[in-house]
Amino acid sequence: MGKALVVVALRQVDPFATVDPLTGTVYAQPRGGLSTADECALEHALRMAESLDARCLACTVGPQEADEVLRTALAAGATEALRVAGEPASEGHTARLLTEAIRARYADPALLLCGDYSMDRGTGATPALLAARFGASQALGLVELTSHNGGLRAERRLDCGRRERLAIELPAVCSVEPSTVRLRRASLPGLLAAREAEIPVASPAESFVDTRIRRRARTAYRPRTRAIAAPAGAAPGQRVRALTGALTEHEPPRLVFPANAAAAASELLDYLEQRGYLP
Amino acid sequence: MTSPMSSPVRVAEGERGVASFDAVIVGAGPAGSAAAIELARAGRRVALLERGSFPGAKNVYGGVVYGRVLDELIPNWWTEAPIQRWVTRRQTMLLTPGQALTVDFRTENWGKPPYNGATTHRADFDAWLAGKAEEAGAKLLTSTLVTALRTDPGGRIVGVRTDRPDGDLDAGVVIAADGVNSFLAKQAGLYAEDQLANSTLGVKETLALPRETIEERFGVRGTDGVDIEMIGATKGIPGGGFLYTNLDSLSIGVVVDLTELGKAKVRPEELIAELKRHPSIAPLVRGGEIVEYAAHLIPEGGYHSMPTLTGNGLLIAGDAAAMCLAAGIWLEGVNFAIGSGMYAGRAAAAALAAGDTSTRGLAGYRERLASSFVLADHHKLRGAPGLLMSERVQRKYPAMLCDLVEGVFQVTNPQPKPGFRKLLLRSAKRHGVRLRDLARDAISGIRSYG
Ligand SMILES: Cc1cc2nc3c(=O)[nH]c(=O)nc-3n(C[C@H](O)[C@H](O)[C@H](O)COP(=O)(O)OP(=O)(O)OC[C@H]3O[C@@H](n4cnc5c(N)ncnc54)[C@H](O)[C@@H]3O)c2cc1C
Repeated sequence: MGKALVVVALRQVDPFATVDPLTGTVYAQPRGGLSTADECALEHALRMAESLDARCLACTVGPQEADEVLRTALAAGATEALRVAGEPASEGHTARLLTEAIRARYADPALLLCGDYSMDRGTGATPALLAARFGASQALGLVELTSHNGGLRAERRLDCGRRERLAIELPAVCSVEPSTVRLRRASLPGLLAAREAEIPVASPAESFVDTRIRRRARTAYRPRTRAIAAPAGAAPGQRVRALTGALTEHEPPRLVFPANAAAAASELLDYLEQRGYLP
Repeated sequence: MTSPMSSPVRVAEGERGVASFDAVIVGAGPAGSAAAIELARAGRRVALLERGSFPGAKNVYGGVVYGRVLDELIPNWWTEAPIQRWVTRRQTMLLTPGQALTVDFRTENWGKPPYNGATTHRADFDAWLAGKAEEAGAKLLTSTLVTALRTDPGGRIVGVRTDRPDGDLDAGVVIAADGVNSFLAKQAGLYAEDQLANSTLGVKETLALPRETIEERFGVRGTDGVDIEMIGATKGIPGGGFLYTNLDSLSIGVVVDLTELGKAKVRPEELIAELKRHPSIAPLVRGGEIVEYAAHLIPEGGYHSMPTLTGNGLLIAGDAAAMCLAAGIWLEGVNFAIGSGMYAGRAAAAALAAGDTSTRGLAGYRERLASSFVLADHHKLRGAPGLLMSERVQRKYPAMLCDLVEGVFQVTNPQPKPGFRKLLLRSAKRHGVRLRDLARDAISGIRSYG
């Protein structure tokens, strides 16, 4: 049997992008790099590959410029690299492109690592979606990760300074916070070799359209205008109270205990609908 | 990160680095990239090492590049260089706290090919030029700090050590283009004891302003821009000020004598703040948001302060070799860095082809520089730095001339007009300038600049 596979999924971002506060337009430089979380994911991947005696594959979805982050990974010690050509439309799309490209060339990975979420408005959903696709266990937002008796031990932060310790079975998908480890310094031979390395490119067969997601042009968020009747009351104080709702009795918050995720989701949707947030 | 070492690393007989190049160039600033372009085009294996995460990431300057020297390296460079604005208007200002005398020149000629000066951000410009070196075949290795020269038992430079694990490289020739206060030149023993005595400190702020505001305030349109140099803007500390327009930002700063700055116990940012408050500058910079503050040394000593340019297996170029030309109305470092880098590249290629990269084999470098603008201009202007930094030019003349001009335009009715001669004598006397000194300075000015 061949060696096990540790995959690290990286994303090229511009850590110095500026955002126009009025329009929300992001001005990114072409000189992108890795976010700190991705650097930590790469370091963890290299350590885990060493301790599991596994190969370490660095992969990314993106245009040719994204090869740079793969070269960074190769220079630091990743044994192979793969770029999936394309511009993902959503986290689901990224997960699908990566899964298909990895499965077409390799066996399912023993461990797949990501940064906790990408810097350019990432939601952190990609690792969870990857775990679902690979049918692997998932542990997200970790600050520590070590191998232990053929599985993994991990830690993540909870509120109030508490930590949660996890025992994770392989195969697993883990995402890590940008903390506790630092990407090792690439050696000079590593750097020279990575510069010359041929980066294999996977071109997805068809373009992927997720019909469940409706997309509109990206614009800055503008709350809808709500017409409010002029407050009643003769005295200014009364009108202020009427406007702000201060000192009036409120319906106490309702505590809900949905039985499962589906019930929780429909509870949330109902709430948003009642408040006029959903069409 | 490992810090630079104080002396070269002695390499034992037969000891090899992890890779071997014909030339290793340290520093992907304008000098290093120009050298790399030349050597790579000559078919040599070249490594261009840069400590920053990309070329230009760490580099500081005022803001104007004179690209004529690029004609030789990159024909029609202006169609692709990352230019902010083309300088079509140049001003020289003499300032006193409450006065300003400005010479203002503008020409449409500099706003069209082949152009003259341009404002550009170093992060863009250096990355572009290093990209040209890569296109020519040079290997650019970033985030890699050179920590030492490597020498063979005979003292010949045979490569460099970097701060990376397994980080030794062999080289037929090393070109130190690592900027002012080059520790490689120091390690090789090419710097004089007091090399830094000739350095000035440059500090600058980048102020963001909307494009239309800049165009309105400075009277330019499209990609036309302005270059303003100032004397008398540094609280009596020898030096000068500058203000340049980028597309949607301004670069404003001062360049001051390091020793005098220390003695004056003034913080450099206070000098910029004071300059921004000057009545003739304040309306230009009002409302600008500081987006960057930077400080850097400038080797301003000129011809007389240049170190030995060639070692056994080593050349020095650009600021490392004090090639920056600072002569008051001219502050040209980047073009001199490109020029010297280019000639270093050519000399190194010739020496490699001849199989002799010893000090003698590399002697062609100085000859090439001497027969080009690089040393010709420096030689001609060798007296300029001393004159410019002198007490009279710095402290007395700006105030004397401003007073003189104020007198010329001041209507003194019912007194009759005083006449130029009287005004000159009066303002010279008021500012303690002896006419003998004025004449002597005028002669040395004509000698330097004439
Ligand atoms: C405030 C200020 C204003 C200026 N204004 C102007 C102007 O308007 N116009 C103009 O033409 N010039 C100007 N200059 C001068 C100009 O910046 C320099 O003359 C020019 O940058 C010199 O180029 P260089 O390539 O020799 O050195 P640098 O530009 O300093 O480049 C040296 C490079 O070497 C790298 N390096 C250094 N040490 C190492 C190492 N050990 N290992 C690896 N890499 C290393 C650095 O990171 C850098 O990229 C100004 C300078 C200052 C400070």
